[in-house]
This record gives sequence, structure tokens and C-alpha cells, in this order.
Amino acid sequence: MTSNTQPEGKNKKKRKPLVSRKDFLQIAGATGAATVVTQLFTSGPLSPDAIEGIGERTHSATGESKHNWCMGIDLKKCIGCQYCVWACQATNDVPDDNMRWNIGLPERTENGTDFFMTRPCLHCQEAPCVKVCPVGATWKRKDGIVTMDYKRCIGCRYCEVACPYDVRRFNWKPSTAENPYHPTWGSPEVERRTRGVVEKCTFCSHRIDRGLAQGLTPGVDREATPACVNICPVNARIFGDHNNPESPITKFVTENETFRLREDFGTEPRVHYVRPEKEEI
Amino acid sequence: MARIFDLSIPKEGRQRAWWIWIGILGVMLVVGLIGMIRVFVLGLQVTGLSDQVPWGLWITQDLSSIATGAGAFTFSAIVYLLRIKKYQPIARAAVFVGFLGYSSAMLALALDIGRPDRFWHPIVYWNVHSVLWEVTMCVILYSIVLVLEFLPIIFENEYFSRWPKLKTFSQKLHKASPVFAGIGLALSLLHQSSLGATYGVLSGRAIWYKPSLPVMFILSAVAGGISMTLLLTIVVGKLNNRQIITKQLQYDISRITGFTLLAYLYLKIWDWAATSYYSHSPGTTEALALLQSTTPYTQTFWWIEIILGGIVPAIILLNDRFRKNDRYTLLALGLIIVGVTVNRWNVTLSGLIAPPRWSPGVLGHVISASYLPTWNEIIVSIGIIAYALLAFSFGVKYLPIFPKGEEVSH
Repeated sequence: MTSNTQPEGKNKKKRKPLVSRKDFLQIAGATGAATVVTQLFTSGPLSPDAIEGIGERTHSATGESKHNWCMGIDLKKCIGCQYCVWACQATNDVPDDNMRWNIGLPERTENGTDFFMTRPCLHCQEAPCVKVCPVGATWKRKDGIVTMDYKRCIGCRYCEVACPYDVRRFNWKPSTAENPYHPTWGSPEVERRTRGVVEKCTFCSHRIDRGLAQGLTPGVDREATPACVNICPVNARIFGDHNNPESPITKFVTENETFRLREDFGTEPRVHYVRPEKEEI
Repeated sequence: MARIFDLSIPKEGRQRAWWIWIGILGVMLVVGLIGMIRVFVLGLQVTGLSDQVPWGLWITQDLSSIATGAGAFTFSAIVYLLRIKKYQPIARAAVFVGFLGYSSAMLALALDIGRPDRFWHPIVYWNVHSVLWEVTMCVILYSIVLVLEFLPIIFENEYFSRWPKLKTFSQKLHKASPVFAGIGLALSLLHQSSLGATYGVLSGRAIWYKPSLPVMFILSAVAGGISMTLLLTIVVGKLNNRQIITKQLQYDISRITGFTLLAYLYLKIWDWAATSYYSHSPGTTEALALLQSTTPYTQTFWWIEIILGGIVPAIILLNDRFRKNDRYTLLALGLIIVGVTVNRWNVTLSGLIAPPRWSPGVLGHVISASYLPTWNEIIVSIGIIAYALLAFSFGVKYLPIFPKGEEVSH
């Protein structure tokens, strides 16, 4: 034994009862304090619901929604003009070109056909970023949109590590620059994010929500459709409710032979692509 | 014994050597603090991290210090649950080293998150589907357990005898040690392996996505944790010219480390064989080829992780003749710690440097990300190491961490 914790002179004191009044008060006090702290965090002023009103309940995605928002991108049609990239930067207020939510880059197929690859967030049904977020700051809405609570994000960047599509962007520095894409390509419609949080494409969910409230149809009515889809001069991007058989996206998927990026990851993306060239079978 | 390994310092020189040592660490700590202030003021733009490689040096440091702090739960389990009392003399040092490892990790984590002001969010906002949430909760709870296990040692100091109530409290805590050991064991088994699962569950990154990662993480943590504790114990003994734990105990612990290392190596070799040698998975093969062409991943894996960090120390610690030579033992323990640290770096960076191809084109094929820590990241890491060493040094000087041991005469 190494511990010599036996203090001297202790055993000379009179015998104590099994549970002294002091002990009782200590236990009662500790229990009381524990109760107060628990209450504080579960239903009190420090509870998830009370803090900035962004409680767990507002983030639950259980149950079915009427809608299932999906996008279609026809790589055969895309001319690589980058309008969708710039419109996104203007609308979602992303001044920094390194932080583009929606990217477009020149590519070449294995058969040597040049094309332009563009990609927003794919809003995966089984989104890795949603699973890994330790605080539930990234969550999937009932209608399938993967969105973020920027007030909850702690900036651990596990979502960036988990996302196989390089979709996520972290605010490494404060974003104070003028937005060079405003007003030519649109006006900011959402608040700019603070330093230290991750951000991502939202399928312009603010437009969808506002449009639905006004009785509009996202994917058909321009005010309710993502900026990148509206601006495309060759209609390479299609948007709509996949649950609605009459929607542009349902028609796009049934009329074309489509694929999704890296289906082998099991992520079930919501963006459907048409190959840049006819597949040789 | 060769002069260079004779660390004992003559009595007259000890005071001076102590202050030089503390002075060096103090300077390192101050430099680190300047780095930390820069991080808090300027944000993570001062790092070499990017959206493609969002985790780097500090995450490696977190993982390594948690792994080398694993001696705490290992010895607690051996002493209190398996009831092998002969390991008791090193249990305190293990708890102390564990506490320093975990507090270093939390310090690095607090700097690494973009919003340190929201560090408490995981406690309030639960995402039970996230491995990282589980890790965070376990690490917080386990750190509390370590503090409770360690408090009685602090209160043993003469200084605290002026408050007799503290003594009673600390005795109660001490009696509850087995309970803490049990809780600590459960928490450690959970999070030490979950740290591997942090990477192992990511289906989008082929090189990480395997069920062996959590098991390899916990085995290497046990080996690394025991090594760190034993290494520090031997070094402190040599500096003070004392035999802190009996030679026999030291040999027994060395043997345990050796066997743990063998188990780790066995799994590691099979993991390599199953994922890269006997099978062909396009994602893994692609990533390994990319890593091989742009980084020293393959060389460091075989030379540092397997040979120098695994096979060599295993031979030393399991061979009767080598084990009885303190020089070799220290070398083996040091190599294990280096091996585990390099492993954490390799695991973290491999999946990020070689990202998966998602474009249907061919240009994306050649893109590999890159990362180099900035000076600011490095000085912060040095500062955190200095904190741990300073706390260790003062702890050893003023607290009854180690049994007194016998004076060595030679």
C-alpha cells in the first residue's frame, strides 16, 4: 500500500452515528442542487428550447412530409457558364470564391468528351454529415433538405470530414468583404454566417418555405425556386417535388437515364444527373 | 551503465537542474500561450487547415494524448477490478498521467473548434447518432472521474491538513476508488475505441471505413498508455537516484506491454492483409496509390508504425535479457509512444489527403489535398506539451504520486 491517508488523532473523537445530521444535510443539499441543475438544463433557462429557441424539437425530422425536393442536372446541356455558381454566391451571400456552395469545374470523361461538372449539396437521404454532427446542428428536414442551425454549430468540422462530396465550407475567417456578385447576379436573401461555423447549400430553402406559404410551386414558380436553377440559360438544372408525378423533376427522372454521384457510398443523394455523353453499352 | 543513460543528478546540482528544466518548460508554455491567444483572436485562419483537410496536427495531438493517457484505466482495471494488488504502486502515477493526457486533449480541442464559446453544446444538444457526441460525453465524464480519483492524492499534501474536513472527504473519495475505476473502465472502453470509430464509420471514405479501426485504437491506446506511465516512472526514478517500483514489477509491466503490442500488431497486420493485400477494393487501392505517390504514408506505416513502433519494442519487452536492461526498456517504451502518435497522424490524414472521387469525369482522379501545419499550430502544440510536462514535474515534486522507493547505490 502506498497511500498513507490515515490522519492522526481522528480516532480519538467520539463515535459518530451512521448518518449524522451533517451527512443528511449534505446529501439533501447535493440532491437539491442536482435537481436544480437538471431542471435548469431540461426545462429551465438553459434548456435546448429556451436557448435561442432552437430546441431539439424544432430539429426532429420524424414523420413524413408531403414534399421531397430533388434537383436534376443535365450534364449534356451544361455549357459551363458559371452563372449558377455566381447566382448562388449572390443569393446566399458567399463573397469568398473559396467558399462556394455550388461549384462548377471543367472535366473530361474517360472517352475524352469534355464537359462541365457542377454540384450543389446533394441533400443525401442518408447524409453522413447529419449522422456525425455531435450537436445536431446539421439536420434533415422532413422534406429531405439537409440544412444547418448556424447558432448551434460548434465548428468541429466533423461534417467536412464525413462528407464524401466536398460540399461543406468552414468560415476560417470573418466574412466582411463586399459581395462582388451583388447586384449583378442577385441580392443576398439570407444572413451571412459568423466566423467559426460550417455552412452549406440549402436548396434555397428560404425561397421554398416562403413560396409554399404564398401558394407557389417550387420548381415551377421562379420566386420559390433555387437561384441556381432560375439563372441557368440552357435549363440544365431542374427542380421540384419528387412526390408529385407532374413536377419537372419527376418528369426529368422518368424521361432521362439518370444517375447519382457515388451511389456505392449508400448516401442516397437527391440530385439526379444525366451523363455528359451517351453511355456505350 | 553508460554515462549517457545514467540520469541521476548529484544532490548539489539538483536544484539548479530543476530550475533550468522548469525555465525551459516555462518559455515553451509562454510561447504556446501567445499562439493560443492568436488562435482565439484571429480564428482558425492561422492554421494550415482547409475545407479538404479540416483536421490536422491538433487532432493528432488530441488522439495521441488520450491514447497515452490510457494507462489510467488500464491500471485501474488491473488493480481494482482484477484485484491484482501488486500493480498498486504505479496506479497513482497512471491516474495522474491520464489526467494530464485528457486535460491536454481538451485544451487542444477547445482551440480546434471554431466556436470555443459553444464548447458546452454537446452536453445540452444531444445527437446520439454521432460517434463524436459519444466521445465528447465520455471524455467529459471520464475527466471528472480522473479528477475524483486524483483529488485524494492532492489532499494528502501537508498543506491541506489545516482543513480536517477535506481529509475526511478525501478519505471517502479514496474508499470509493473501486467504484470510480469501474465507471472509468466503462467510459474508457467506450471512447478509446469510439475515437477509432470516428473514422471507421465514415462510409464515404474507403480507406477509413472498416470495423477494425475501433479495436486497433483501443489496443494501441492500452500499449501507449502503459508505456507513457512506465517511461515516466523509470525516468523520475533515475533522476532521483531511486528505484521507485521494484525491478520485478517493472519487468511484469514491460511484459504486459509487450503482449498488448503483439495483439495490436496481429490485428494491424491482418487489417492490412485483408484490406490491401488479399482483396481489391477500388476506393482503398485508389487512396493508397494516391498516398504513396504524394506522401511518405507507406514508409511511415511500415517503418515507424509496424517495425520501430511495434516489432522492435515487442522483441525488447518480451525478451528476458533486453527487458532487464533499463536502456532498452526506455527505448522500447519511447518507440511505442512515437509509433502510436505517428499512427494517429497517419489515420487522421490518410482519409483526408486522398479524398474519394465523386465526379464522373477523370480530372478529379488526380486531385489530392495537402496539409502542412503552420508555425502557429506548432507553437500551440508545444505549449500544450509544456503544460503537461510542467504539471507533471510539479506534481511529482509536491505530491505523493510515486512511492518513495529505495535509494539506489552504485
